[in-house]
Amino acid sequence: MSNLFEVSNVTLRFGGVVSLSDVSLHQKRGEILAVIGPNGAGKTSLFNSLTGVYQPQEGSITFIPKEGEPVSFIGKKPHVISDNGVARTFQASRMFNALTTFENVKIGAESHKGIGALGAIFRGPATRKDEKYSDARTWELLNFVGLRAKANHIASSLSYGERRRLEIARGLATNPEVLLLDEPAAGTNPSEKLELTDLIRKVRDEMGVSILLIEHDMKLVMSLAERLYVLNFGSVIAEGTPDEIRANQNVVNAYLGTTTRDAN
Amino acid sequence: MNFPTIKKFSTQALTILLLSELAAVITGPPGSADAPWSGVQGSITQKTSFFGLFIVGRWIFFYAIGIACYVVALSLRKVNSKTSALKTFRSSYNSITDNKYFKPLALVAVAILAILLPTIISDPFWRQAMVSQIAVFILLALGLNVVVGFAGLLDLGFVAFYAVGAYATAWCTGALPMPPIFGSHINPFFTIPIAIGLAMVSGVILGIPTLRLRGDYLAIVTLGFGEIITLFANNLTGVTGGAQGTKQIPHFSLHLGPLKYIWGLDPAPYYYLVIGFVIFFIFIFFSLEHSRVGRAWTAIREDEVAAESLGINPLKYKVMAFAIGAASAGFAGVMTAAQSNYLTPATFTLYLSINILVLVIFGGMGSIFGVVFGAIVIQTITMYLIHSPPAGYQAQDLYIYIGALLVIMMIFRPAGLFPARRRHRADSDASRLEDSNV
Repeated sequence: MSNLFEVSNVTLRFGGVVSLSDVSLHQKRGEILAVIGPNGAGKTSLFNSLTGVYQPQEGSITFIPKEGEPVSFIGKKPHVISDNGVARTFQASRMFNALTTFENVKIGAESHKGIGALGAIFRGPATRKDEKYSDARTWELLNFVGLRAKANHIASSLSYGERRRLEIARGLATNPEVLLLDEPAAGTNPSEKLELTDLIRKVRDEMGVSILLIEHDMKLVMSLAERLYVLNFGSVIAEGTPDEIRANQNVVNAYLGTTTRDAN
Repeated sequence: MNFPTIKKFSTQALTILLLSELAAVITGPPGSADAPWSGVQGSITQKTSFFGLFIVGRWIFFYAIGIACYVVALSLRKVNSKTSALKTFRSSYNSITDNKYFKPLALVAVAILAILLPTIISDPFWRQAMVSQIAVFILLALGLNVVVGFAGLLDLGFVAFYAVGAYATAWCTGALPMPPIFGSHINPFFTIPIAIGLAMVSGVILGIPTLRLRGDYLAIVTLGFGEIITLFANNLTGVTGGAQGTKQIPHFSLHLGPLKYIWGLDPAPYYYLVIGFVIFFIFIFFSLEHSRVGRAWTAIREDEVAAESLGINPLKYKVMAFAIGAASAGFAGVMTAAQSNYLTPATFTLYLSINILVLVIFGGMGSIFGVVFGAIVIQTITMYLIHSPPAGYQAQDLYIYIGALLVIMMIFRPAGLFPARRRHRADSDASRLEDSNV
């Protein structure tokens, strides 16, 4: 398997605070990769650096698309990174609350189309074709995540679990190669968690989208991820399969804790 | 009566007293520089007729009205907390506006009224006002609605684009000290695209550096831009004619092949021209709102970070909103300049920017129908107060009336008179949550 992301020696500072220090990691194409670590370890900062929200001071982030040349993500704006095939969700769901579920997803489906203001005013054949495509794509994705029945509900009326699925659908609508999920299970109940685990696996298996995941719920991470990185105080302290991570004494000390009850 | 009841009662009585005396002072006689308190004193102690029944001091008169208002409000609330009169009114109002025949019927009625208006109105003041103060302000409100309502960018210097349109007209017709670029005999019809184009370009020029800012910072920068344009108009005497402004802008005329028409002193032809463009802009803005561009604007307004993560370039869409909004303001400028024949920088003040913003907020941000309606209502009230002022009314009192109207609006319909569908939904959703908590 070829690599999808190559992150090497990334350092991100806010004034004197070092948020990421010399972080190197890579993701293979088609892999479900997880990043875990205690609060404040720099997991979300890593996501924000990968998606262009933060600009790291040092290091390189290279994205290798399926077709075409590798792209450096350093200094790129978030919307350009999205154009390159990276989609993400947010830790606290950020939906467009005044819009319906359908419109939320549709915005993702049509954001890469080249229709400008003139095309929008005088609905030419190209515009109508695009609209038709994004409508069809939106329905397809709503079916996929199981929100078809809620298509005309306002986004803010959805439950936490539904919001997570909406965010995943919206991200997938941009036709990404990789989906970055920032704590997808936060605020969901146990049955929603199970559904979410299945959905994430389905995204990878059926859509061929690689998954990069931040999560605190160890059960979910250990059952889902094929490989993990552990961050602590902005540095990578361990890397490996779930079994290797569970056995790693550094990780147990820093994060998992010393009793098996805590680990669960 | 136990102590808490007495305390509550006296607090309410005192509140009503203070509010009603405030109203008495606001509407009372003016003070003078020699006796600064005479106005306040007179407002409270002067005798006034209590609806012709007996003569009382103003303070008693206002206090009585205040208590009456309170009792009415209380009784409305006491009917039933679940189905209060206000809620009944609200739901009946919503059931009328939600009816599927409401919109087409209302549109037809409005269209007929709009066409017949110049034949109905004969008062020269109102014939003039319906063009220069109402129809033109509809255009301005529509333009600002794109910026504030659709894209969620608070622009406090919108008057700048209006000024650009007006000065572009004066420039094209040779009324400015600066010689026109196409010679002084340009077909006046082409001043419209030139003025609109220049307004849009100034929208882009303002937008590219400033739209990186968000929220309050953007408001301050746009405020500054509005002031810069006014200062330019005031001080660049060699270009704009300075504070004196410019005169002899010819009336608008059309020479296209066999077509030849000159808009004269009668406001009616201007009215039809402006209304034609109002419909044109409504069509454009409506199409945009329901297109990919409109959805991208909403996405940026709702959550810029999320919108960016989906591949929407915020700067591009914000600049687009500025330029498109500026277009209708630019056209409004053409009409103002051509119809009134003169221009002074004094027209393009901060107050005018705020005035336009009030129209948008009152009508309902993001709702095209709402802002048109809001513009008509507020501008008609303004013009009425100027035309037939109530006793003791002074020009600067206008803002008290408009301000009071806005306060009432913010309490009872914070999303505006006709809330935008996309905003309305979020609001009604929030109110449903509130209801379920009760």
